Order: sequence, then C-alpha cells, then structure tokens
Amino acid sequence: MRDRPSGVANPWLQLWLSVVCVLIYELLQKRGATETANLSESWSWTGITALASPLVWLAMVLMIISLLSWLYVLRYIPLSIAFPLSRVVDVLIPLSCWLILGEHISPRRWLGISLVVIGLALVAKPVARLEEKL
Amino acid sequence: MTWLAFILILVALVAFVAGQLFLKRAMESSTATGLRDHKVIFFLCSGVLSMTIHFFVTLGLLAHLDLSYVYPFQGLSVIIISLAAAIVLREKLTVQLTIGALLISAGIILVSLS
Repeated sequence: MRDRPSGVANPWLQLWLSVVCVLIYELLQKRGATETANLSESWSWTGITALASPLVWLAMVLMIISLLSWLYVLRYIPLSIAFPLSRVVDVLIPLSCWLILGEHISPRRWLGISLVVIGLALVAKPVARLEEKL
Repeated sequence: MTWLAFILILVALVAFVAGQLFLKRAMESSTATGLRDHKVIFFLCSGVLSMTIHFFVTLGLLAHLDLSYVYPFQGLSVIIISLAAAIVLREKLTVQLTIGALLISAGIILVSLS
C-alpha cells in the first residue's frame, strides 16, 4: 500500500464518509419518493415527481460527495479491499430501516446480515494488521 | 420477457463491474500523472459512461421487476469485482479476501431475497 495522508485526507476515513453518505441518501430517497408518489398518477413511475421533494435534492448532493470520496479512496486502497468493505451499507441500510423506519426484518434476512458481517471482518482483518505495521 | 430481463440484468452487472475497474484504473494512473493526463481522462469518462449505463438499465429493470429480483444480482458484484481486480488490475487476492468477498456476496443475496 502506498504512503497515505493522515487526518481528513486519510483514505479509510474517506471510505467511511462515502458509506455514510450512501446510507443517508438511500434513506432520504425513500422518504422523498414516498412523500411525492401521489403527486401525479401518470408521472410517478418515472421518478420525476420525486424532484418535488427537497429531501431528494439533498440526496443528490450526498450522492456527489459519496462519489468524490469514493474516487479518492480508489487512489490509495486496492479495489479488491475497498469495494467489499464499501458493501457495509448492505448491513447498515436494513438496520437503519429497522431502527428508524420501523420496518420488519425476517430471520432469513438476519442470517444474510450476519454472513455479510463475517465476510467484512475477514476482509478487514488483514488490513488492520497492515495498518498497525505502518 | 424473462429472456430480455436476464440479458438486461447481465448488461447492468457487466457495466457496473467495468465502471468500477475503469474508475480504479483512472485514479491509479492519476497518482503518477495528475488528473489532466489523457489516459486518466479516458478512463474516468469510460467509468462514468459505464456507471450511467448501469444506472439507467437498473432503473428500467426496477420499473418492471421487484427489487428483490434485481438486487441479488448486484450482490454478485462483490465477488466478481474482487476476481476482476485480481485478473485485470493484478491486485493480490488472498484466500481470506476471497472467502470474505464470497460471504459478503452470499449475505447480500440472502438479505435481498427475503
């Protein structure tokens, strides 16, 4: 792994920033799309009606931030490590839907979530060892 | 219909994987040459184009199919991208990384099926 900057420019921090932005914009999109679904019967399926919600515009800003920080991450971290780790959103999204939106999580889904967590730990462990040495 | 859906799902998946590889290649070259280099711009544009194709094909699929049908294929992208990074970008792929990527893919597929 290449020399990496510390502080805000730390690529691992940027990876987290990217993930958190994705998590928040997915939740905002869901809220925004639901709020505006009944504005126009014929247009709602195109997704264009969602533009009436300010939440959707905020989601778009977060989308751009997440893309920029992701590009920054790719400068420093191998894709075969960064991409699997970025899928931590697939755990965080169902958990937030459960906690914030009060959605139900089936046993099969809990099993899937735990598989992802074990996989993430396997990918992250050699990274943690590598970082300690630096 | 199912035929078309299958092909479109494949197109979306390939476009997504290719997009990530292009973006990674662009950012990798940029550390040596800066962002204005021709190669970097070419890879960045190819990456953004691939991602755009992925975005619209996925939207089209979602308009006709359930998310729980479309998303499991996205789950496969984790293991495919890890393998592609090893083959195309010559990244070092350990056994532990491969098993980790496989578990994440399997987990995402389970989460999105239920």
